[in-house]
Amino acid sequence: MSHGKRTGEFPHLPMHAVLLAITAVTVYPILWVFTVAFSGKQSLAIVDLPPDPTLYDRLRSIVPWPAAFSVSNFTSVWMDQPFGRWLLNSAMVAAATTVLGVFLACTAGYAFSRFRFPGRRAGLMSFLVSQMFPGTLTLVPLYIILVKWLGLGSNYMGLILVYATTSIPFCVWMLKGYFDTIPKELEESALMDGASPATIFLRIILPLAKPAVAVTALFSFMTAWNEFILALTFMDKEVMYTAPVGLRFFVGGFSQQWGYFAAGSIIVSIPVVALFMYLQKYLVSGLTAGAVKG
Amino acid sequence: MTQAPSHRRLVAMGIVLGAAVGAGLCFWLLGRARAAEARSREERIAIVSLQALADVVEEAGGSGDEVRAAVTGFARAEPELRSIRVIVFEGLSLEASTHPDDAGDRAPPRRLSSEEKPLYDQGQRLRAAFETNQQEGAARKAEIEVERRSVGGLALAAPVEIDGAVAGVVLVETAPVPPAPGGGTAAAFITFLAPVLLLGVAGLLLGEKRLALNVTAAVLIVVALAGYSRYVVGALETAMRATESAVAERMQGAADAAGGVLAALPAGMERRELRPSAWDSDTYRKPLGLHSDDGRLDESKFAAAYAGASGWVKRKATGSGIAALAVLLFVGLGGASRLLGTLRRHRHAYAYVAPAMVGMIVLVFFPFFYGLALSFTDQNIYNTEKPFTEIWVGLRNFVDILGDFSVAQRTPDGMVFNFQNFYWTLGFTVLWTIANVAIGVTVGLVLALILNTKGLALRPIYRVLLILPWAMPNYITALIWKGMFHQQFGVANQIIQIFGGEPIAWFEGTATSFSAVLATNGWLSFPFMMVISLGALQSIPADLYEAARVDGATRWQQFRGITLPSLKPALVPAVILSVIWTFNMFNIIYLVSAGEPAHSTEILITQAYKYAFEQYRYGYAAAYSTVIFGILLVYGTWQNRVTGATEGI
Repeated sequence: MSHGKRTGEFPHLPMHAVLLAITAVTVYPILWVFTVAFSGKQSLAIVDLPPDPTLYDRLRSIVPWPAAFSVSNFTSVWMDQPFGRWLLNSAMVAAATTVLGVFLACTAGYAFSRFRFPGRRAGLMSFLVSQMFPGTLTLVPLYIILVKWLGLGSNYMGLILVYATTSIPFCVWMLKGYFDTIPKELEESALMDGASPATIFLRIILPLAKPAVAVTALFSFMTAWNEFILALTFMDKEVMYTAPVGLRFFVGGFSQQWGYFAAGSIIVSIPVVALFMYLQKYLVSGLTAGAVKG
Repeated sequence: MTQAPSHRRLVAMGIVLGAAVGAGLCFWLLGRARAAEARSREERIAIVSLQALADVVEEAGGSGDEVRAAVTGFARAEPELRSIRVIVFEGLSLEASTHPDDAGDRAPPRRLSSEEKPLYDQGQRLRAAFETNQQEGAARKAEIEVERRSVGGLALAAPVEIDGAVAGVVLVETAPVPPAPGGGTAAAFITFLAPVLLLGVAGLLLGEKRLALNVTAAVLIVVALAGYSRYVVGALETAMRATESAVAERMQGAADAAGGVLAALPAGMERRELRPSAWDSDTYRKPLGLHSDDGRLDESKFAAAYAGASGWVKRKATGSGIAALAVLLFVGLGGASRLLGTLRRHRHAYAYVAPAMVGMIVLVFFPFFYGLALSFTDQNIYNTEKPFTEIWVGLRNFVDILGDFSVAQRTPDGMVFNFQNFYWTLGFTVLWTIANVAIGVTVGLVLALILNTKGLALRPIYRVLLILPWAMPNYITALIWKGMFHQQFGVANQIIQIFGGEPIAWFEGTATSFSAVLATNGWLSFPFMMVISLGALQSIPADLYEAARVDGATRWQQFRGITLPSLKPALVPAVILSVIWTFNMFNIIYLVSAGEPAHSTEILITQAYKYAFEQYRYGYAAAYSTVIFGILLVYGTWQNRVTGATEGI
């Protein structure tokens, strides 16, 4: 203990114990999904227990390793089910949402950070308050606006517009916080050199704000890729489902196709988890910059 | 700022724009009223012919050669009917037809072909409607179907009654009607021009007196629009009178045709007297009663119908007048020029904000206010077409939600909770939020402190694995955990059985159901707190601790004095965010417990969703959601005051 006190460090062993325990709990459900996906069956049990199981049988039933290894769930989710189509729909919607969301959030965030104009404070506050609007309050009116007035029912455009706007407030606040940390002198000197406001924004500010823009893109993409209530409400044809609605289709109601669900979940999660891991460094700096206000 | 703009110029611009708006709106209104009247005229005339024909078919016995003869005769007398078909349900038979397709080997009588099934279905629909209305003694379902054909004209269908039961259906198609003449353009133009010119004259007399100029302009617009709306109402009356005389004429024509056809039928059948006044009816076959059998117009009934229609026009005209005045005063008093000035001065800023703002207004703020309005109505799946004024219930929804305190009842068997009660759900939601945020902050902070240890082996690997739950889509997480909590096959129960326990039916008890959703949400929410805390911890300069150690501070003192205060600026916003997220964490509750058992683990947002999309009580659900918003707003305002998070923006 005297050693620890002098150097200011805990012994490492108990820390590893805590980390290992929590990591095990964290990873277990993911391993479980892989097990079910590669089991080649639709059951959610890892092994079929005999009528009178021994302790060994019971232990075996929680070890996340399939009884027989098979990729048939992956092949049939791809070949027999319209899952590829759903994935394509999701990719299209998410890509368009990302482009639109980044455009809207960057322009607005820049204006809120750099310009002082009447309505600025009201605008920022209204964005903040809009985060508290319960989705159930706006769902029925949104349906009326999109489907009845704009004629965008069963249309990807409707989903893209809604996703892009729902991600705006968070992204604008975060980008504004980040833009605030970029010194104003940079722009002023560019202005002296005769650069137009648009050039300054595109050539100087955006490249400097890359981490925050990356987070905006990630956030917009995840909003669109992971959303399922709106997609469920607006898309009534099976071929137009997005992947989340499709996945729920496998295990919702009376359907119990856990193998398809697990295989589909892995396919759907891989791109978003990869993106997230790749961009998480920026995510932290973006979130803390927005929160701490450098 | 240059010199103040001239009041005369401003008011002149105001009256031009205001008069244009007012006259334009009223002109558009006139067009709509005329078009609506023309549509209703076309339909009423067609219905008169159709019902006369249905009577003839019934009189001719509903089937056989007599019907064919009667239909041919009727079609000859009524050339506006492009085609007539009579279908008898028994034997799926096309009994008579003047349709050009039904010639040669397709001539009636014959069995219906398979592509003619829609016609048969239409007949069955009408029969069902007729029987429903008979049983209920009310006109609830339309007994005549009217459809606009894409090529112009109407397609109509009416049931054929034989001995008090629907035995078949008669279908007709009418010729397209040429569009009704327009007119009123000149009057609209005068309505626009007269006040503008008169104001020009008044401007010469009044000079630069701002108030006098604006009042004069307002009076001129009001007078001009009042005159024009009188003209519109007059035009409406003319159109309505034209409709009535056209209907009377058609009743006479149809009566003559029907009489002629029936007289030609072989004698011996018992004849009913034809009642042409009953042919002029709505689609429920309830006679409108505007005309007597000999075609005389009932003036008092006409006056009532006219009062209804002209009232609608007058209300809309008043609205147009208010819009015109608003435009006039906005421009005339200088508001518009000030607004334009502001917009011009900050045009870069507004150009950058505009795209996002337009999107937010159309798809976030407008739906929000629409939802607020909805919360004062009784809208449900049956009355979505009605205007809000008709289903307005004031504060009733809110009183129902907030005024019901019967959360628990004492019964002989112990306490019985009413899980659908708002306060139960609110209490559950608060418990759910506090428990989750507490778990998230504790686990996240502990992990961050451990991971911040210098020289700890395998740190990057732990970090990546521990972030995984945040990266996974949360609906997938929810469905996975639902699977793991399955009573028979779920892993959770297998583990319990290893330790000799009995398998638990997780979603059949409130406490176990709550632990299941709490485990799921705890699993996916701690990485956020961990990442935020870790970021903040890493930004604490190491020399702070060194200095503290030199001063002899213990580790606990260092934690209290350095670590916690440095974490605060990052953790406070993170906690605010996660409180709001958890409070509205729809997916986990909806997909894992689904509120089971008996809605006891519902949170406010899922309960609101169920009111809207399982019970289809849109107004009530909107009120419920408004209450949720109110709670979050109060919370947000309080938090903001305590933490000062939005100071200095």
